[in-house]
Amino acid sequence: MLLMLIRRVLLGLVTVCIVSLIIFAGVEILPGDACTQFLGEYQADDELLAQCRKDLDLNRPAIDRFAEWAGGAMAGDLGLAVDGKTKISSIVGDRLQNSLLLALCAMGIGVPLALMLGVITGLCRDRMPDLIASTLAIFAMTIPEFVSATLLILIFSIWLGWLPGIVLTSASAPAAEFFPEILLPVIVLSLVMCAHIMRMVRSSVIEVMAGDYIQMATLKGVPYWPMVFRHALPNALLPAINVVALTIAWLLGGVVVIEVVFNYPGLGRLMIDSISDRDLPVVQSIALIVASVYVCVNLAADLLTMLANPKLRTMYTRK
Amino acid sequence: MKKWLIASAMTAALVGTSAIAAPSGTFKQAHEYGYGDKSSLDPASRGRVMQITEKLMSRLIRPDMKGSPSPDLATSWSANDAATEWTVKLRAGVKFHDGSAFDSGDVIYTFNRVLNPENKSPARSAIKMIEKMEAVDSSTVKFSLSTPFADMPLQLMDYRLRIIPEGSGDSIASSGIGTGPFKLVSFDAAGVTKLEANMDYWEGAPGVAKMEIIGIGDGQARMQALLGGQIDFENTVTNQQKPMFASSNKFKMMEVPTGNWRGLVFRTDVAPFTDVRVRQAVRMAADREDLVKLIMGGAASIACDTPVKPDDQYRADINCPQDIAGAKKLLAEAGFPNGIDIDVYVATLEPTWPILAEAYQQQAAKAGIRVTIKQVPSDGYWKDTWMQKSVSATRWNERPADSALHEIYLSTAKWNESYYKDADFDAMLAKARRELNFEKRKALYVGAQEHLYKTTGTLIPYHVSKLYVMNSRVSGIDAVENHTIRWNKVAVK
Repeated sequence: MLLMLIRRVLLGLVTVCIVSLIIFAGVEILPGDACTQFLGEYQADDELLAQCRKDLDLNRPAIDRFAEWAGGAMAGDLGLAVDGKTKISSIVGDRLQNSLLLALCAMGIGVPLALMLGVITGLCRDRMPDLIASTLAIFAMTIPEFVSATLLILIFSIWLGWLPGIVLTSASAPAAEFFPEILLPVIVLSLVMCAHIMRMVRSSVIEVMAGDYIQMATLKGVPYWPMVFRHALPNALLPAINVVALTIAWLLGGVVVIEVVFNYPGLGRLMIDSISDRDLPVVQSIALIVASVYVCVNLAADLLTMLANPKLRTMYTRK
Repeated sequence: MKKWLIASAMTAALVGTSAIAAPSGTFKQAHEYGYGDKSSLDPASRGRVMQITEKLMSRLIRPDMKGSPSPDLATSWSANDAATEWTVKLRAGVKFHDGSAFDSGDVIYTFNRVLNPENKSPARSAIKMIEKMEAVDSSTVKFSLSTPFADMPLQLMDYRLRIIPEGSGDSIASSGIGTGPFKLVSFDAAGVTKLEANMDYWEGAPGVAKMEIIGIGDGQARMQALLGGQIDFENTVTNQQKPMFASSNKFKMMEVPTGNWRGLVFRTDVAPFTDVRVRQAVRMAADREDLVKLIMGGAASIACDTPVKPDDQYRADINCPQDIAGAKKLLAEAGFPNGIDIDVYVATLEPTWPILAEAYQQQAAKAGIRVTIKQVPSDGYWKDTWMQKSVSATRWNERPADSALHEIYLSTAKWNESYYKDADFDAMLAKARRELNFEKRKALYVGAQEHLYKTTGTLIPYHVSKLYVMNSRVSGIDAVENHTIRWNKVAVK
């Protein structure tokens, strides 16, 4: 068990390193750099461009710059943005908090709702509640987030005028100030997330309910609801842990589109801004954070599943 | 007694109106956050957020509603006979937002800062003819120029030449102290920048009590904010987005002609465009009226290859219909009876470029000009394509007639994108700068544009109009360029 943990942590570190390298190479390959981006049409002025590159220390080989950043990052210091003045930890800190806030709100609504709907649809398989919820889930999953986001803005903020359409709060504002602007992005995220988890839970409930031991319990005369809660659900919800974990990781890193559409000052929008500014150190740092979150959350989910499932536990111990 | 009565009645009326006109409400506007983390409140820096500095700081001279020089922090100005020395009188009793008094020292400090090559201010080119400045007294400044310059007041109208307090160079990027109608409460380029009314503004207290200038990078998000009433005013609305606002009485719309243009540059130093007849032919083949309709949906005004804005006092009145037969004839005379093949380079950097190239391709084909469109990445366009390839798309923002003609076409100009070298043209411009008589000066600038139309390698089919969309609760926004709007007159219901 411990051995497994160590192996997983090491593997996670390797993953994070590889992701960092790929991201660095990707942004470096893009034409243009921080100076051509900032100078715009003035980049045609060789003198200005050379001066700017000197000021920002961009003339060193890419490998050099990456090594310096990576060295600092390993020691826990994300270093400075490309301007050489701003501390990355101070920019990223607020944004990370905001993305966490968005993720927590979306999860707070989405996860319970999904579990509930999943169980209900699983138990009422092919009947009215299942048909309605499953059809809606397919819609929620297949319509891209930016379309559902735009639709919700159109309905709730432009036609009805109930909710603000986009977020105008500053990145450093306290969490409370994001209400009610945060509601629309939270709803959109919950919708997508909810649909995924619900379908997973539904099929697992159906599978478990068809199992031999449930039939046995029914034949032995265990009443329906106690059976569902005591015997079926604990087993049916296990696979959901992994899906929930993946969704959390996705929420923290992959909601770029949502953050841009709603102008939400989170990590995703910072990532987009930094890529267009060619601010490599910031892009790197965000990629590092997001990759670490993915690795950690997945690890945590696997451990949880293992603790809850004796079969998996013993599989490792026997080795 | 009667006089006194009238006077007191007038005072009462004045007090009355000022009581009604106390600043109220909050006006909200977005900016594109185009300079990212390099955004700054320093009006002369490259990262200046114009939407904020134009409300915080004032110029010496500002454009009036027709674009002519009118007093701002300067009350009057005059030149010597040779137009090499300009004396500017400053407004008395004006205070900066930090309470310090405005005087000639601040003007000299601000201009020296822009002129210092080390500061690399993009505004430097507008006033680099200033050789020496002298404070005659606390409210008079004398500018000595290196060349005669009859239109110096136009140069001082540059939207970046905003006066900051003496010695504030190191802090201005975040303090934003000026003499404008609004003062800074807090600056956050990526989020909300808050301003409040400057009750001591020299023209009187402004109409709104607060302004919020919000950084929204995404164009779609800005439209949603405008539609949802989260911002009150937007000037980046495209022609395609117009219908969203046209049908609603929640919004008001204005079309504002500008001097901004997009076009194609044919390098005059590269064959076959070294031959002036070929240059004429490629421009003659364009149907400008059609281009305006096709590309801009009518929201543009036709230009005959002059960079001077449509309502400028020096704009030449030229007629330039499409002439296919003429173009063919000129090409044949130049030795190309079977037409020519050209590659036109564009990028999506300017969304209308590819459309312009395609429309031109169709039009020019009739004259035997076979266009191949080469689309290149937007990144690095200004460095690797523009001024490098023989034919490329270009765009320029408006500037005064003299600056436009100098910066784009003078033989020695750094950004002479078409490598246009014409001694006659240069001479006309030099003469115009020396000419203090307005009518004669105008004739010279018009002559220069007509000469340009005959010989240039740059196709300027139109000047674009900007679409202003505002919430109907807003009033007082003038139908002029952004930096000319009198923001103190804006009010919200």
